[in-house]
Amino acid sequence: MSRHTINFTLNGRPVTADVGTHQNLTEVLQESFGLFGARESCGQGLCGCCTVLIDGAAVTSCLALAAFADGSDVQTVEGLADGEELSPEQEAFIEIGAFQCGYCTPGFVLMTRQLLDENPDPDDDEIKHYLSGNLCRCGAYPEIVQAVRLAGEKRRAR
Amino acid sequence: MAETSTTTVGQSYGRLEGHAKVTGRADYIYNLRLPSMLHAKIHRSPIGHGRINSIDVSAAAAMPGVHMVVTGEDVKTVLPEPYYGPAFHDQPILALDKVRHFGEPVAAVLAADPHIAERAARLIVVDYEELPAVYDEIEALDSEAIVHEELKPAGTFADLKHLSGRRDTNVALDFHLRLGDADKAFAEAVHVFEHTFRTQQTMHTPFEPIVAIADVTHDRAIIHSSTQSPSFVRYELSRLLGWPESNVRVRTGHLGGGFGAKVYVKVEALALALSMLAHRPVRVAQTMEEQFYTITKHPSTFRIRSAVDDDGRIVGRKCEVWWNGGAYADIGPRVTQKSGFTAAGPYDIENIDIDSFALYTNRPPAGALRGFGIPQLVWAYESHTDIIARELGIDPIVFRKRNILRDGRPQAVGTIVKDGEFEPVLDETARRLGWDRPYDKGEGAKRRGRGVAIGFKASISPTTSSAIVSVNADGSVIVYCSTVDMGQGSDTAMAQIAAEVLDIPLDRIRVVNPDTDVTPYDMSTLGSRSTFHMGHAVRLAAADAKEKLVAMAEEVGMPEGSNAPLPELFIKKFGMRAGTIVGTANFKPDYAPTDPETGLSPNATPFWMIGATGAEVEVDTETGQFTILRMINVCDVGKPINPAVVETQLSGAAVMQLGFTTTERMILENGQLTNPSLADYKVPGIFDMPVIMENGMIEAEQHNGPFGAKGAGESGTFGVSPAIANAIEDAVGVRIAEMPITAEAIFRALRAKDGAPLEED
Amino acid sequence: MTPFELAQPASLAEAIALLDPNDTAIRPIAGGTALMLMMKMGLYEPQKLISLRGIEPRYSEVAATADGGLRIGAVTPLRQLEMLPVVAERAPVIAHTMRRLSNVRVRNVARLGGHLAHGDPHLDLPPVLIALGATLAIAGPNGERTIAVEDLFQGYLETALAPDELIVEVNVPAAAAHTAYLKHTTRSADDWPALGIAVALDMQGDSVSGARVAIGAATDTPRRLTSVEAALQGEALSDAAINRAGEAAAAEAEVHSDARGSAAYKRELIRVFTGRTIRQATGREA
Repeated sequence: MSRHTINFTLNGRPVTADVGTHQNLTEVLQESFGLFGARESCGQGLCGCCTVLIDGAAVTSCLALAAFADGSDVQTVEGLADGEELSPEQEAFIEIGAFQCGYCTPGFVLMTRQLLDENPDPDDDEIKHYLSGNLCRCGAYPEIVQAVRLAGEKRRAR
Repeated sequence: MAETSTTTVGQSYGRLEGHAKVTGRADYIYNLRLPSMLHAKIHRSPIGHGRINSIDVSAAAAMPGVHMVVTGEDVKTVLPEPYYGPAFHDQPILALDKVRHFGEPVAAVLAADPHIAERAARLIVVDYEELPAVYDEIEALDSEAIVHEELKPAGTFADLKHLSGRRDTNVALDFHLRLGDADKAFAEAVHVFEHTFRTQQTMHTPFEPIVAIADVTHDRAIIHSSTQSPSFVRYELSRLLGWPESNVRVRTGHLGGGFGAKVYVKVEALALALSMLAHRPVRVAQTMEEQFYTITKHPSTFRIRSAVDDDGRIVGRKCEVWWNGGAYADIGPRVTQKSGFTAAGPYDIENIDIDSFALYTNRPPAGALRGFGIPQLVWAYESHTDIIARELGIDPIVFRKRNILRDGRPQAVGTIVKDGEFEPVLDETARRLGWDRPYDKGEGAKRRGRGVAIGFKASISPTTSSAIVSVNADGSVIVYCSTVDMGQGSDTAMAQIAAEVLDIPLDRIRVVNPDTDVTPYDMSTLGSRSTFHMGHAVRLAAADAKEKLVAMAEEVGMPEGSNAPLPELFIKKFGMRAGTIVGTANFKPDYAPTDPETGLSPNATPFWMIGATGAEVEVDTETGQFTILRMINVCDVGKPINPAVVETQLSGAAVMQLGFTTTERMILENGQLTNPSLADYKVPGIFDMPVIMENGMIEAEQHNGPFGAKGAGESGTFGVSPAIANAIEDAVGVRIAEMPITAEAIFRALRAKDGAPLEED
Repeated sequence: MTPFELAQPASLAEAIALLDPNDTAIRPIAGGTALMLMMKMGLYEPQKLISLRGIEPRYSEVAATADGGLRIGAVTPLRQLEMLPVVAERAPVIAHTMRRLSNVRVRNVARLGGHLAHGDPHLDLPPVLIALGATLAIAGPNGERTIAVEDLFQGYLETALAPDELIVEVNVPAAAAHTAYLKHTTRSADDWPALGIAVALDMQGDSVSGARVAIGAATDTPRRLTSVEAALQGEALSDAAINRAGEAAAAEAEVHSDARGSAAYKRELIRVFTGRTIRQATGREA
């Protein structure tokens, strides 16, 4: 079978898709669901622009076979905000100005989500450790570290 | 312009598009899909230089799902003269007769399913006769391998009108500057120094790869492109088509980075041709890998000589710079010329010779990359300057200050410097470094050192920006301009300028994404020119709108100076909420062309950009590995429109240059690029950052700038590379003359210094 | 990428039955990180992939063994090796290695078995497991066999696994008292290593009573450095002894020039990092 029907939860809603075995998850999120927040850039799992959360854990969606999403809980950056209310991570990135072109930003925001889920009060070393697999070509790393700290504060205050 | 107090300008507002970016909803062209669109995948040259004997597309064309396979000859059926380029019309849309670099596009496959197009593109078989090739800029000077037999100057830009190229050589442009009498200065000098420095080929790697979708019908071409130059793309495609510019529409969204990779025509002409042949919208979307074959940063060789007197005054400098432009000139000739005239550095030197050569080779093409050649020059002249200071036993800061350019003095090109904060930038860098305090240089295997470097750049000139500012009947405002926001925050800055002039809150202003059907001409978003040029155009257009509003108020009988809300004014005039007030402006600064004999001009640039870096490094002498303990970037930023955004530009530029200095290098083996991917071409990550990074802004009124502002998007790159090399010499006494600075290069230099050189293998 | 068949068996036996001893176009996939890279680059076009994600849960579990070691199911995500307290307790060097092994996203997905079976020399765990004396349980159509981790690697991307065999378990014996792994990158911090040195030492008083030393990345395959082990055996760890160990490593390891450095430079790095790893393992100042 080179095509599979997969059922999974996407940003909190149950969904179904007919996917080719050769399709990666980034492609299916874009072409079947119109979600472009996860985007392929380096294509090799190094830049993190295609980051999504699968069952709460950050994954390189351009290197994930879409067929493997069957039965899982997939969250993309589009699912972080509650209506018009941004998540603490998103708010923090805006308030610090932790991006320039914004292409890598969804990946950094989602890595921040996994980090703060696992460690609500990380120090800078821990922040860098979690973000070391994401690249920002605009070089906003100093601001990104600040934004993660602020996101932690915001979450602890909520 | 006199300094005035401002309310919106000068404030650190968040970027207007911030919400869209953190929610993944920003409108990058890479995300766009059109109905009935085909995907193009490109078959590329596997060799550096060769004649095409034949192209067999039969297997690809026969693959189920393939719509069409297109070669260069096919392109000629719709575009008879399919060559493009901003300086020379030297680049074919798809290779014709010859390939000139590894990765050059040779054929394209169109299919509705990109996977099928990709597989089919691998089935194309091309028979080449390999030709002698040349990859090095010095060898290209007298190589028997000639990259282009014939050259066609484009004649598009005012500053490149004189281009001709030299037949039967690889020289695309040579620029010469003669100031004073350098030969005499050298003959009489007490000290003469000579060094040669080299830089490597690198790539911009914007994370949104280069992309265009063309949708052509019988008399209309619509191009959706990630371009930095919508107006130029329209110009160039209308030229290829022989159509009026009004029949060509080029639009863009937010760009996922540009850095110069997306200036002029990149994939737009190919998308245009493919859509004409297929009669469908066609998407040409590059991968990260393909970007490495498309546009790069010039490798360079720079031989620099200085004559210095006993007081430590530089009395003469001779600069010879060879720029490796790769197989197509792109904007390399301008790099050669514009960068050329600052090659002697930000110093007040009476006698200068500069010879700058743009050379064709069989490398992937080189063009503009954040700094337009300046970082290559600063690498050489600030390494050289540091060596001189050390050899003369003069403190490197003192030596620089003794020679630095100051306001009122002519720069090498003959233009008098005004509003150039050279000395304050240097002083602030030294102050932040604590230069006057004793420095712990470490012991054992860990040695520390520090270094500084300062560089500068002229703005590109003469260029034009146009803007429209319209005021809606409810008092809200729309700004139409073709400046492309690729992350530098230009939309926010332009909105702040309009808000300031019209005295309305920022949240009532919208900036339209560039669309040549809608937004007026702009030369391009490059060279840190937008804040100055488009900033003025928007300011003037807003002022024009304001004048019309004042006239309208007078007409409807409102008392002069009345602060009646705008909606009331429109209702009074039109009887209801109706009508639009439109302000327009064109802006072009004064300019005097450079003399073809001497290279001199009394007015070569409307403003100067100045940036310095101070670095502290720690070197592990057992491995050569080094850590940047502190990197301080100080720039003259004029009066920033948005200080927070300007600061991220400084810091981001410095981080990018840090990559070019330490980790990034395109590796060619037998003309083939071996590392066209982020797996093997390493852009800096979070653990590659300096332990401490600081940014310093010298805020100084630019007399002719909009609200005193000037460009600053590249200034942070200038000093980074030589500051690090200078710090390394300070730490361990070895000089690295070729970028990138690697641990192995340092280790080898240390071993050579100890008289125990490491074997070469 | 080209469409292929994807089988998702529910048991190990079923998975093995689906593999073909003579057909490399049929391959197992678990995390899929390395395989996806090869498929996207067109270097590998499978006809059929056999997913191991659905096989019995015990192959994704980590358990403490009675002899003080660990039994790690081959389908265990690397992230588990980083997070599970039992790993940090029984083989702290493994947990420590994880911190700089690729990145969190990769570790969330990549599985231990694939990490080893890929046969790429530029990976971090092979030298660590070799130094720890770990063994592999390998299952095939004719049952299970056990090999030492160092015997898995036969060449660049070549292993001792037959096309119808799978690594099912990694058995790590009780760790030596002093262990360390140092990874060194030469291009950027997040790069694959230019070299990795793993050391496991037992000491009696001041002298070394047992030594296992392994190298990865710089050599064609991850391997033991037996001359270093011999040089350390019975030695008190003086500066001179540590230097001799470094010299032995540089002499024994066969290295080649590549984009991460020349052979001559790598030999110097091996000399230096062998010493540093020994010092780190034994708590001496680096």
